[in-house]
Amino acid sequence: MTPDHATYSPLQLDALRELANVGAGNATISLERLIGKPIGLDLPQVELLALDEAIERAGPPEAERYGIVVPAHGDFEALVLLLIDPRGAAVLYGAFGLARDSDESYSMLAELGNILASAYLGSLGRFSGMDLAPSPPQLVVDMLAAILATVLLGDGVDSDRVLFCDSQLSVEGERCNVEMLLIPEAGAVGTLIEHLGV
Amino acid sequence: MGALATGWRPGSVLCCVGLGSCIGLALVDQDAGVAGVAHIVMPAGDGDPPAHFAHTAVPVLAGRTVAAGARREDLVAILVGGAQMFTFGSGQQIGARNEQAVREALVQAHIPVVAADTGGQSGRTFRVRIDDRVTASVRTTGQAEKQLSLDQLVKQTGTTSDSGASAVPNRRQTTSEMVN
Repeated sequence: MTPDHATYSPLQLDALRELANVGAGNATISLERLIGKPIGLDLPQVELLALDEAIERAGPPEAERYGIVVPAHGDFEALVLLLIDPRGAAVLYGAFGLARDSDESYSMLAELGNILASAYLGSLGRFSGMDLAPSPPQLVVDMLAAILATVLLGDGVDSDRVLFCDSQLSVEGERCNVEMLLIPEAGAVGTLIEHLGV
Repeated sequence: MGALATGWRPGSVLCCVGLGSCIGLALVDQDAGVAGVAHIVMPAGDGDPPAHFAHTAVPVLAGRTVAAGARREDLVAILVGGAQMFTFGSGQQIGARNEQAVREALVQAHIPVVAADTGGQSGRTFRVRIDDRVTASVRTTGQAEKQLSLDQLVKQTGTTSDSGASAVPNRRQTTSEMVN
């Protein structure tokens, strides 16, 4: 177990939740501009969960998801993972007039993930005073549990619990949800909390 | 994840759903009609829970499968999973590391591998069904469910059981292994 995954005080979790809220709020604005439709944002969930609990929370393990991963480097090592179900992806394809599951639609989803994650990470960096640079996005279409377990495990550091930091964006009037998860690498949450001064 | 289960009742299905870099390991005694499955998450660690880590999962699963009615020397192994779904980062080889660690632990435990569907870039669901025979199937994302060939399992060599002296079990060879 990594020391930084031990426990957080309610105040620290609140600070992380606020951070996720600001980041996702900024991503929401980007998505609104991109597709020209109002976007709703739920209050982020931030919890320390066992790996299997986190996966259970995310939905049916075998359900198909489009997963877009954007790694971030700098003062803070983390990944942003966006999860979109096939129906949601179809709505986004439609908004850009693209055919389903074509090369163009895949690259649009990856670029969308890049823009949203950059917006999210940008506010996170400003809010915490850290320097963060996103790397190119990677898109996979796979089973929810396979995507999430692989991403949460990262480089295989044995941590009993993972920080589950989840924001839900939804395109109003459409059945389209984009789930954004911030996944700090081992040791990174401690750095983040230090910068937040809580 | 990090869980294990055993079964012997006809009609039982043991499964690992949505394996990415994790390994689904089944230990089967075909003659006894008993199987055990573990969802292994990492190569090594503090051993709590034991099925989470390759080095502890193998002996613990073997013990539980024997307790469910299998003969220790008749156990054979099936491995599924260990994909590398992403290419970023230095540590994303965990799927391959998981597989290697499970194979090493199986060698130490003198349990031969009769089938494997590992590696690649896609997630998998692994099912082991116990009926008249024990059968195993894999559904890989974007593909139809396929049966794993466990031909070695039905072959009876009629030789005496392992003395435990040899380092590598040779009673049953890993001829039907499939690796993608």
